[in-house]
Amino acid sequence: MSGANSSVTAHSHKVMRHALAILAIVLFVSMSAFAQRGGGGRGGPAGPPPTGRGASALDLTGYWVSVINEDWRLRMITPPKGQFDALTLNAEGRRVGNTWDPDRDEKAGEQCKAYGAPAIMRLPGRLHITWENENTLRIDTDTGTQTRLFHFDPTAAGQPTWQGHSVAGWQYGPSTRGAARTGNLKVVTTNLRAGYVRRNGAPYSDKAVVTEYYDLNTMPNGDLWMTVTTRVDDPVYFSRPLINTTDFKKLPDNTGWNPAPCTTK
Amino acid sequence: MHKVFSLLFVAGMLVSIPMLAQGPARPANPVDIAGEWRLENNEEDTTAQPPLGDYLGIPFNDAGRMRSDTTPESIWGTPEFECRPHTFPHQWRGLGGARILKEQDPLTREIKTYHIQFMRSLDYPVFMDGRSHPPAWAPHTWTGFSTGEWIGNTLKITTTHLKDGYLKRGGPQTSDMYTMTTYITRHDDILTIITWMDDPLYQDEPYVQSTTYYYDPAATVNTETCTGNAFAENGGTDRHHVPVFLPGQNTAWKDLLKKEPGIPEAAVRGGVKTVYPEYKLTLNGSASLASLKVPSSRSTLDAAKKIADQSPRDAQVHILPVQGNIYMLVADGTNLTVSVGPEGVLVVNTGTAEMSDKILAAIKQLSSAVTAQPATNNCAGANCPGIWGWSSPYIDAIISSPAPAKPIRYIVNTSAAAEHVGGNEKLASSGFFPRVNGFGTAVENVGRIASIAAHENVLNRMSAPDAKRPPAPADALPTDTYFDEFNKLPAFVNGEPVILYYAPAANTDGDSLVFFRRSDVIAAGNIYSTVSYPVIDLERGGSVQGVIDGLNKILDLAVAEYRGQGGTYIVPSRGRLSDTADVASYRNMMVAVRDRVKDSIAKGLTLEQVKAAKITMDFDGRYGSTTGPWTTDMFIEAVYKSLKEKK
Repeated sequence: MSGANSSVTAHSHKVMRHALAILAIVLFVSMSAFAQRGGGGRGGPAGPPPTGRGASALDLTGYWVSVINEDWRLRMITPPKGQFDALTLNAEGRRVGNTWDPDRDEKAGEQCKAYGAPAIMRLPGRLHITWENENTLRIDTDTGTQTRLFHFDPTAAGQPTWQGHSVAGWQYGPSTRGAARTGNLKVVTTNLRAGYVRRNGAPYSDKAVVTEYYDLNTMPNGDLWMTVTTRVDDPVYFSRPLINTTDFKKLPDNTGWNPAPCTTK
Repeated sequence: MHKVFSLLFVAGMLVSIPMLAQGPARPANPVDIAGEWRLENNEEDTTAQPPLGDYLGIPFNDAGRMRSDTTPESIWGTPEFECRPHTFPHQWRGLGGARILKEQDPLTREIKTYHIQFMRSLDYPVFMDGRSHPPAWAPHTWTGFSTGEWIGNTLKITTTHLKDGYLKRGGPQTSDMYTMTTYITRHDDILTIITWMDDPLYQDEPYVQSTTYYYDPAATVNTETCTGNAFAENGGTDRHHVPVFLPGQNTAWKDLLKKEPGIPEAAVRGGVKTVYPEYKLTLNGSASLASLKVPSSRSTLDAAKKIADQSPRDAQVHILPVQGNIYMLVADGTNLTVSVGPEGVLVVNTGTAEMSDKILAAIKQLSSAVTAQPATNNCAGANCPGIWGWSSPYIDAIISSPAPAKPIRYIVNTSAAAEHVGGNEKLASSGFFPRVNGFGTAVENVGRIASIAAHENVLNRMSAPDAKRPPAPADALPTDTYFDEFNKLPAFVNGEPVILYYAPAANTDGDSLVFFRRSDVIAAGNIYSTVSYPVIDLERGGSVQGVIDGLNKILDLAVAEYRGQGGTYIVPSRGRLSDTADVASYRNMMVAVRDRVKDSIAKGLTLEQVKAAKITMDFDGRYGSTTGPWTTDMFIEAVYKSLKEKK
């Protein structure tokens, strides 16, 4: 190999390296821009959903208070036994619901039957939402002092609990190039202990599946509101899915945070 | 090697450009919300009739509670309301599902408008093209005026210009000063609707509701038809019957407490302190309602400003097209009604003297725009229709400057109020009415200036010395007066009949309504205002019953296009352009006030006691005033004395 050839080859390698570097930059920039929009493409399959704190489509952390503009008589007070209006109980669900005995629950140490994942968000109270770790969102409730954990990574379910096992994922909407991603949170909860979907003993079974969608909206006065759309499917006690929405307003601090244990009264 | 470089660069760009092109320059419409949706929400059944007197969860203030208590459910039986659609806050919670349609630009496929329909509704368009909301003096409708924008996965809709109505069936009322913000998000096959209703007149904080619909392509949104009735239910032969509860008379909420004894009395009456979890502390007696501190939200609306904006005192003239030949001029706190056409201009009322030059300029501008604009050259040549030879008006239009504006032929004064006759002299002098000997009660100016028509008592008031006002100059006086129950102008004006109806003993003894029969517009004069209680001038022959009768006369003449909305338009003396339902709402308010004052007199209350009792608290925020030339106290005094004298 001559010196001239060697020089040409070295130059070629240098140009090639530059070209590859430019190509890499172009592709990186392109893919980054692509990823900013949450992946997927026109008609193409969506990419793997981003998970965890770093990929948040919205910031749910902070203190929230429920505002009982709706279903007041079903939420602020315990409705009379057998009042199952608007629920989707089947005949067996109504039969079981009519056997409700709060004293029996008290004696059995099951005061939290009405505080499980299908019902806890409907109870008047405050929420405190934090990141337990990079892949687990935590919700504490002052009413019933319950804790819900939303897992963005695969975790084992363990024993059935009032709050069950929740798997979470962000759902992104398209946004303008360069703008922050927005969207909502979808949470699916299984592995539940059987409990009450209403405080007066309307039952759900341990086969129930809770699907929730969390949305944030900034109201005209600047208040941030969180709305939870809840769907409960229960093949045992429901004739069809139970769907409702619950609204929370963000608070600046923990004023009014008033932890209280579960009660059957 | 440069070829290699170039190829790699091009390859890189080819790969990357489609990726970059995935995101449009503006936010995409992220999800398709169009289609048929079934109400699927397992909360309290909002489609059924709720218990009367149930205000649970509503952050009512005292005024909202009073308005709701005194409005009976049988208000539905009045001819103007029996076909009204569900009002806006209830639409998403009513029976029958929802249909969402997309109106797209055929070329760009951009969504211009969403149309939302319910069973008992009118079309609810949501404009997505970036247009602004109308001015405050534009009409209010059942579905209001809505604009939308996508924020991430959520369609945010802002709705203004809504009529008054109800929050839900069973009595909880709204004012007409509220705005709604709606957030629609699709989650798989579930549509989540969140509504933020801000009504500072009747609520201590905005009222938030949410509900869900389920996608159901097999569903159908039926149309609920309604056949109106000319008679009021429960009114016998009185087609103007308005059912009202006097304050304290409605006991529905007490009946509810008997049926549902677990509900506390304070809760069923609503209020901001009852809607937060803190309220539970009152249930076990650990706190009193009065001592509760709750994290309430603030309204973004300044109700007083919103009301004042309907009749701005900005020393400007704003023009609002009504329909047919008719335009409404909003002129520094008073409205003028103007007919413009090939025969010239008719103007109902002339504003204040100070505004005359600007009003005249606006009328000329309007007249030029409507009747003297050059036409586009749609036809050229000797064979164009109506053309003789080459003297085409199209060519004239091109080579000639526009013809001058048509003159003012008629002025009609609906009363002798200063803001109705202040511009008479200047406006009349600028025009003329072509006649030789005149008609009616001819005066010296006939044939030289515009005709000024009014009830004879207007002429009497303007020409007679008065402690409050000197006699008007001759050129300002009515030239053509009438004394009967109505007066037809002697010929069509701009192709339509114009009829003056006398409203005896209303605001004064000289009030007229002016009906443009083909354009289907009524100029109401001082009998109707959307920004204040009516001025009842007892010294000049006014009475509360006369005002109510005048409002009923408007309702007799007017025909709504559909469900109490549209059709005949009514121009108030002050405030926004209105229709039948608006006038009915105002009439209902006047009947309620009359009956409350009458009841107070029957109970032996003095005027001062009536004023102190705040018996019009539910309307004072909307129509009352503590300052200015016509305060709430003056209004109450006029009603009281009017009824007392009658008694």
